[in-house]
Amino acid sequence: MAGQSDPHLSIFSAEEVEFIAEDEMVEIVPNLRMDALNFICGDFGPFFPQIANQVPLWLAVALKKRGKCTIRPPQWMTIEKLTQVLEAERDSQRVFEQLPFHYVEISRLLFDHARDDIPDVYMVRSLIEDIRDVRFHKVETSLETLNERALALKINNLSAMEVNIVRPFVGRALQAFYKHDSPELIPDQERVLDRRPQVVSNATRLSYGAIFRTNGCLEF
Amino acid sequence: MSKYYDIDDIIADEEVVSVIFQKAVSGVGIDPSSETDNVEVGSKVELPLWLAHELQLRQAVSMNVPSCFNQKTRLEIQADSACVNLRSRCPYFYEFGSKIAPLVSDRTIGPLLLSAFKSRYKEVLTKAHTAAFSAASKYPSLLTKEENNLYESAQSSMAAFKKWRMGGPRFQRASVLGRKRKPIE
Repeated sequence: MAGQSDPHLSIFSAEEVEFIAEDEMVEIVPNLRMDALNFICGDFGPFFPQIANQVPLWLAVALKKRGKCTIRPPQWMTIEKLTQVLEAERDSQRVFEQLPFHYVEISRLLFDHARDDIPDVYMVRSLIEDIRDVRFHKVETSLETLNERALALKINNLSAMEVNIVRPFVGRALQAFYKHDSPELIPDQERVLDRRPQVVSNATRLSYGAIFRTNGCLEF
Repeated sequence: MSKYYDIDDIIADEEVVSVIFQKAVSGVGIDPSSETDNVEVGSKVELPLWLAHELQLRQAVSMNVPSCFNQKTRLEIQADSACVNLRSRCPYFYEFGSKIAPLVSDRTIGPLLLSAFKSRYKEVLTKAHTAAFSAASKYPSLLTKEENNLYESAQSSMAAFKKWRMGGPRFQRASVLGRKRKPIE
């Protein structure tokens, strides 16, 4: 309740979500010879020129900035794959396509630092923007179904950034609905009368009414 | 007690209610229009909710349903809830309503609040995310405090995301760098 009069309820800023995304692994092709790097998060390397290696994104970006490697774009970041995803997103009203949890942040980082390593970067970029817009519109339409009987909301395959944008709003809205539905204010007999015509819509709602499944760390 | 420090909850207690005195009270300056410091039985006075509530517990006054929950407002909310200017009626419409409902024992206020919020929520949802940059929009001036919080939280998170996406300089130059050193005299 402490945060109720504070409009900035968001727990993560966009930059922090980006920071979390930098732990995702990417493949790089180094052009230098270097011994293995022993970090708290794991050991990477040794690196040999032209031999591909898996490293976290932050390391890849750091090496790339110094001109020591090229980054191989992830497999989903191709025109064919993204066009498929975009079509599938447009076709279905409710279902979200499976994309990496951090696709917004990864693509932003790669477009910023490794433009020359991505084939057809303009096309890929606009496809990802389109996908993001379509998905966000879908998030909004599914939020319209919130009502006083929804204790939580489940949307599968939502990505980290998308959850982060709607989190403060959804948290507050659910709280408000809960408050206005308190048993002291709504007499029981009216509740029953109100519920009868709702049976059909209740059943459809159940199919996507639980909790934002968000890899554990980003729940409401 | 969880709301003890909630400033909105405190301000909502300040909303005025019209009450009718059931007992004659002397020596109080509650009614500014009366010439003496006495309040007659049956006089109608507007008091803040916190005072009215205490006096009602002592059976000194009886409360009327406040004007923001009258029949006219109800009809407007039923007609087109999204366009009703609830802020001008009562900026703490929902909090005030849920406080006053048990005191005036009006069982229709609760359902009214719920249905008003439910239909206005959709409008807040669609407007908040799309109108992220049109700050001059008139829409927030129709909202109550609670709805405005909701609107702002959606808008600020969307604006923060757009700012992140547009980028800009990732590292800010410290102001001490690049400044010309003053010649030492």
